[in-house]
Amino acid sequence: MGRQLKFNIFRYNPEDSASVPHMETFRLEETEAMTLFIALNRIREEQDPSLMFDFMCRAGICGQCAMLINGRPDLACHTKTKKLPDDITVLPMPVFKLIGDLSVDTGTWFRDMNTKVESWIHSDKVLDPAAQEERMDNVLADEIYELERCIECGCCVAACGKANMIPEKFMGAAAFNRIGRFMLDPRDQRTENEYFEVVGTDDGIFGCLGLLGCEDVCPKKLPLQDQLGMLRRKLGFSAVQHIFGKVFSSKK
Amino acid sequence: MYTQTVAQAKEPVRNDAMYDFLQMATGVALVLFMWAHMILVASVNLDFGGGRVMNFIANFFEATYMAQLGGPVIFLVLLFHFFMAARKFPFRAEEQKAMWTHTVRFNHMDTWLWIIQAATAFIILVLGSIHLFSVLTTLPITAARSAARIQTGWWLLLYLVLLPCIELHVGIGAYRIGVKWGWIKRSTREYFHGMENKLSFVMIGIGLITLIMFYFIVTPDPTFMAKTPIPHM
Repeated sequence: MGRQLKFNIFRYNPEDSASVPHMETFRLEETEAMTLFIALNRIREEQDPSLMFDFMCRAGICGQCAMLINGRPDLACHTKTKKLPDDITVLPMPVFKLIGDLSVDTGTWFRDMNTKVESWIHSDKVLDPAAQEERMDNVLADEIYELERCIECGCCVAACGKANMIPEKFMGAAAFNRIGRFMLDPRDQRTENEYFEVVGTDDGIFGCLGLLGCEDVCPKKLPLQDQLGMLRRKLGFSAVQHIFGKVFSSKK
Repeated sequence: MYTQTVAQAKEPVRNDAMYDFLQMATGVALVLFMWAHMILVASVNLDFGGGRVMNFIANFFEATYMAQLGGPVIFLVLLFHFFMAARKFPFRAEEQKAMWTHTVRFNHMDTWLWIIQAATAFIILVLGSIHLFSVLTTLPITAARSAARIQTGWWLLLYLVLLPCIELHVGIGAYRIGVKWGWIKRSTREYFHGMENKLSFVMIGIGLITLIMFYFIVTPDPTFMAKTPIPHM
């Protein structure tokens, strides 16, 4: 017989005027290889069909089932219950708009972020669909691919102190990772000034507190710490060089 | 008007980057100063409270005017660093609540370290200013005068609070600068995190031994506290 697990789950439906935010307790017997995703499905099927949470791939690819599991953002489908204590608290991710219970709207946030960082290759070259694609060095292609692996689950944003502090403004590690990806790409013709315009503010990379919550929770283990460091150093030192350059050139 | 608008559109505003750089640069300067300061003050332990080594070092810094000029400069750097770093502080109640709720719920080491850094910043600003004012208005620095100060009134308590605050702030700050500016990478983070913890505890230990030395062993200047304008806290 498996452990008796106690799930404390956040319940609230903003669409229902009679609904009040509260925690509800469910109990389940643990089965072999049980994930939180399986547990939540069983709760919905066996105990309360109104429980709202998102899922799609159940394989850590779609990023839909991200939630706070005992305070830590993670994917429900990735999380084995055997690694959790008997008492499990599940909350929706902060920062994002709540849809209901454990379901949040990460889509709008990520669409806004991708618009803000202009998440596409900027090039003046006219595409010739018949021509062969430009060659890229394998090592570089791998580096870009490493950053492309982001599944936009939002865990890094939910784990970020600054994003929790000013949720409407701070861009978050997902955005910095995205910009880092385009900075690597030789096809993107944006200048450093243009990248600076996008992330070189206190709502961007210079507002990052360096708490590394993002780095520690990313389910895909993206190199977020190294990206944040690279971006800050690159843009920070370029700003210093620019300002000192201006001071010295005006003295001449 | 038109040219200004065009100029703004072409040139990104680099103020935030510059402020962040200055926060880092002043932070590095203060970290190095505080570690050097601790080593120099702890020199009183070298001759078991006799004070000859410490007096020699203090005399060197005063004879070369480094104390007279450097002291006020350090105070200005401290103030400037506080203002630069305060840009990141959640001064609004709503932001404070959000940060606190997140920290407690997430229970993540580096996030807790930031809370310690933010809290100790305010304590250091107040107590550090008192310490600097007291020392710089009663030059020259000697072991006997420092002992007199520490053995008077509430000064020992002030230093017992200030010491861990500074060492924690400085240790965490050095680690965080490394992380934020990319000098500490994913591959070296654990090592530097451990180093930061050990160094902070070692520095607090050295500081405590030095305070004990000043309080119990070093012979105080008996007239110092009576004839100087320092408030008897």
